Amino acid sequence: MSTQTHPTTRSDASPNTGPNPKTGTPPKLGSKSDRFATRVFGAAAMSFPTWAYVLFFFIAPVALVVFYSFGYKPDQFTAVATDQLSFDRYPEAMSGAFVTTFFATLRISVLGTILCLLIALPFAYWLAIKVSPARRSLALALVMVPFWTNFLVRTLGWQIMLSPDGFLSNWMQGLGLLDAPLDILYTRTAVQIGVVYNYLPLMILPLFVAIDASGHKLREASYDLGAGKVTTFLKVTLPMAMPGVVSGCLLVFIPLNGDYVTATVLGGASGSMIGQLIANQFNTAQNWALGAAMAMILIIATLAVVGIGFALLWLGRTIAARINSVQLTDGRV
Amino acid sequence: MARKNTFARRTPTDIALHVWGIIVFIYLFVPIAVIIAYSFNNGKVLANFQDFGLGAYISGINNDVIISSVVTSLQAALGTAIVATIFGTLGGVALARARRGALWALGLTGLLGLTLVTPEIVDGISFLPWFVTVGVDWGVSPLNNGLVRLIISHAMFSMAIVTFIVRARLAGIDTRLEDAAADLGATPWNRFKDIILPIAAPGIFAGALMSFTVSLDNTILSSFVQQPGYTPWPVYIFSAVRVALRPEVAAISTLMFLLTLLALAFVAVVLRKTGGSSTEIIKTMAP
Repeated sequence: MSTQTHPTTRSDASPNTGPNPKTGTPPKLGSKSDRFATRVFGAAAMSFPTWAYVLFFFIAPVALVVFYSFGYKPDQFTAVATDQLSFDRYPEAMSGAFVTTFFATLRISVLGTILCLLIALPFAYWLAIKVSPARRSLALALVMVPFWTNFLVRTLGWQIMLSPDGFLSNWMQGLGLLDAPLDILYTRTAVQIGVVYNYLPLMILPLFVAIDASGHKLREASYDLGAGKVTTFLKVTLPMAMPGVVSGCLLVFIPLNGDYVTATVLGGASGSMIGQLIANQFNTAQNWALGAAMAMILIIATLAVVGIGFALLWLGRTIAARINSVQLTDGRV
Repeated sequence: MARKNTFARRTPTDIALHVWGIIVFIYLFVPIAVIIAYSFNNGKVLANFQDFGLGAYISGINNDVIISSVVTSLQAALGTAIVATIFGTLGGVALARARRGALWALGLTGLLGLTLVTPEIVDGISFLPWFVTVGVDWGVSPLNNGLVRLIISHAMFSMAIVTFIVRARLAGIDTRLEDAAADLGATPWNRFKDIILPIAAPGIFAGALMSFTVSLDNTILSSFVQQPGYTPWPVYIFSAVRVALRPEVAAISTLMFLLTLLALAFVAVVLRKTGGSSTEIIKTMAP
């Protein structure tokens, strides 16, 4: 333990050069605890700009909208009034077309997330394990390329492809695969295809990282201990990939639930999603209170689904752990 | 060596996986290929291919509305990358150095996490009244500028990404490095500049790149905060979708795609020179 060797560092780093006020450590130990205090004080101070930004440009605006959701629309020309606060906008939001759209949106998002996972899991496994390391960088870069092109433009690509008088429709009819023009555009199927397409890279990347991190050595060890490919996949690779599965699902589901651009381009009138209804309240209907209440319902529903997802995951793990432990004892006895 | 062995014996599963990989790649690239092909459509309507030519490129480049929206988008993306990177780096470094269980750190992590799970539409409808309140009612006039509004809102959207990438990058480093520097008389600023920044650099770089693309891609949030004269490119396309799509949209998109590829190639070359592996960078970028 050194004594005071560099007073300059300490004096300009922290005003807190005396004994530690919390623990009352004597100045003799100050050298160590002092630097600790400096570091903590420095880190907290350093986070101040980010804190301020988040408070002023996230918490405050969202709080304002939460407040608006308790207001009402006084007349045709005013977007919102908050002189009388009530919960009335919530039941108003949960009636009529909103409920239908709400569940349609949830269905598209949940199904979209599951489809993304089913497509991405073998793909990420292939990318992380089966592609030779030399080619892997290129393959990863290729996965990123769609991510780097505007998602609206990519969706337009699908619109062209799926249109009834588009080339795909003509080819399929020419080959005799279809006897009428392709009838997918402006249906829920088209929205589902586009949504899965747009969010797929967001599922592939975290899965790839997780599977890649699961490590070749562990799998080799599993083979050496006599486990087959399936067992190794189920008991080594998949559990190690679970964090990737979780973050991938979150990354896909949450933005997807609020998205309405894909649905507008590919679903037309039949593809309206909650996001669209909320946007309408703010842009055209000018009923901010109702729109704000709808937005709150969207957030609550999103969090609820995420919560249910985590609960199912926990349940699955608990059951799996129980089954595994039973097998283990059986094997030994 | 072991890897080679598994690669050499191709079981049916392996073959199926390879086929699947190729199918997914085709799925990922077909719409982009379609847009590139249709950018050479000389007709009036994008989806209706008439004859091959560069007409859309010429009229697209000469279209002032299109060019100004592309320029707005690029400016907003650059500004977003700068703002989000500065604030995100500070936040990430602070979080990485936080004492375990520090309340301010937990709070910040929670808030940033909250920004990540908030649907874009909610950010959009929140920013709209807020900018009016602060900019118009309170008289903070810079907030009435369309570009400033785009940058502030986009930066909010990607700040959490930068913060978490930088924090993850710094999570493993030995705090004794800093202690050693302090013992050798380095000032806090020097320690930050000479130790933290170089270690965090790949993360910061990845974060900046991410914020740039996220901003360039952003449609919903932008459509709420945009001001007349500052319509970003995706919002322009989205409003065109509802009216009529002309091949110019595909032509300009193709040009932007090529520019992005060039920029990425440049980044890859720079990274290779500085010794970073592209796989590592992509891995830092994946959340």
